[in-house]
Amino acid sequence: MFSLFNKQKDRQALINPKTEHKVLIINKGKTLLNSALNSGIDWPHKCKVGSCGTCKCKVLSGDIKPQIDFGYVLSTDEINDGYVLACQSELRSDIEVEINLNNNKDKK
Amino acid sequence: MKLFVNARYLIVPFSSLVTIFGIFQGGVFSWIGVILFGIFTLIDTLTRNIHLRAEKDINGNSFGIKEFQYVVMYIMLPVFILLQVALAARLYQYTSGFLIEKSIFLGLGFESGISFFNLIGATLSTGLWAGLGIIYGHELSHNKKEGFFVSRLIMALSGASHFTYAHVYNHHLDLGHQDDPATAPRGRNVYAHAWLSHAGQSKYSYDLEKTKLTKQGKSVLSFHNKWIIGYLYSLPSIFLFIWSGGVLGLVALIGVWSISNFLLEALNFMGHYGLIRKSGNPVEHRHSWDNDNVFTSWFFIEIGRQGDHHVRGETYFWELDDVGAPNYGIGYFSLFVLTLIPSLFRSYVKHLLEDWDKNHATHDESEISNKFKSLGILS
Repeated sequence: MFSLFNKQKDRQALINPKTEHKVLIINKGKTLLNSALNSGIDWPHKCKVGSCGTCKCKVLSGDIKPQIDFGYVLSTDEINDGYVLACQSELRSDIEVEINLNNNKDKK
Repeated sequence: MKLFVNARYLIVPFSSLVTIFGIFQGGVFSWIGVILFGIFTLIDTLTRNIHLRAEKDINGNSFGIKEFQYVVMYIMLPVFILLQVALAARLYQYTSGFLIEKSIFLGLGFESGISFFNLIGATLSTGLWAGLGIIYGHELSHNKKEGFFVSRLIMALSGASHFTYAHVYNHHLDLGHQDDPATAPRGRNVYAHAWLSHAGQSKYSYDLEKTKLTKQGKSVLSFHNKWIIGYLYSLPSIFLFIWSGGVLGLVALIGVWSISNFLLEALNFMGHYGLIRKSGNPVEHRHSWDNDNVFTSWFFIEIGRQGDHHVRGETYFWELDDVGAPNYGIGYFSLFVLTLIPSLFRSYVKHLLEDWDKNHATHDESEISNKFKSLGILS
């Protein structure tokens, strides 16, 4: 029950493998979004608590550990297509993920 | 420093245990929870001018120990269950006609049986400390692992398990806007807000489940529905109180839940009263009131650093800091007393809201503020 004491490893996320090919290290217990922001990646986000859906991204390969039920924010089709909320995703394995980082640039 | 930073958040755990001890002890000690509430209101008022920043080591890391703080928060679940068991035991003694006499249990003297007057004291004490315990339900609602489930159980002890979902999916997304039932608009008093906010959050939580289950092709009237499950978590409390006190037990439980939910909604009321955010715009520090004098910060595990909390919702309470959000200038206990007298509260916040309109509000927010003023609602 207590995830405080689990022995999760650091993982690696390859962001936009077809275009930008950025490699991101996700320390154990950290979310994909926070790791990206701490690394200076301008990942779209708003609430950071899993309620707005702004940080959603598509996992192309690998396995994430969702911290909440994404069904409240994402549609069934999106979930089936591999979309996750980066602010509520830790990694179970190394992953490849697709995210439109230009969304934020467009707004600025 | 590390020991001090972590130990200072133990005021509620120790006070809750003292309250439980008082109820088990019986007699006038049944009132100890109420007396503690009064003493803490006094301390909070006397320390209203002392404000501290979050302490960090030379590397900029917090002194908070996550494992320790989480163990404390998890332990608060059985503590709050014990609080209800203590009151239920007294209800059982009262309705069973136990004689009021000195007894000894495990070498410790206590008063067996209880008078109606002291039963009221035990009920008020339980309600107040169950309500103050909601701070752990709030903190754990932001932990999406087992902490989220513990949060649901803690809130269920007050019949408010819907809070955990509504707080994260509704309040954090919509605060400062009419879509957030937990935000009190200008002109509303705490008594009206308690009902409107509670019912609004419960409805939101139901609608959230309905939308999700409909999307998934599942029945709303099923055990997939977290809104229904949340209320089922409250059944053990209902059974316990009816078994121990019959109708009087049910009345006592309604009393406990009313007090604890009133305290919860009073915190919501104080957290964002009268602040305005245009829908679609990001939540920023100016959309929350800070209450961060030293005693409030330690007692309420930094829940009063609302400005920082709402912008960094994923941040642990011991890392929250003063971010320059609008500040009431007094602590939650002191402000709570003011909210109980609506005219006094409005008088207190009038100049604070004027300052907010002048120095914090954006053009869009000022326009909405002016609509309130055109209706004669100034604070």
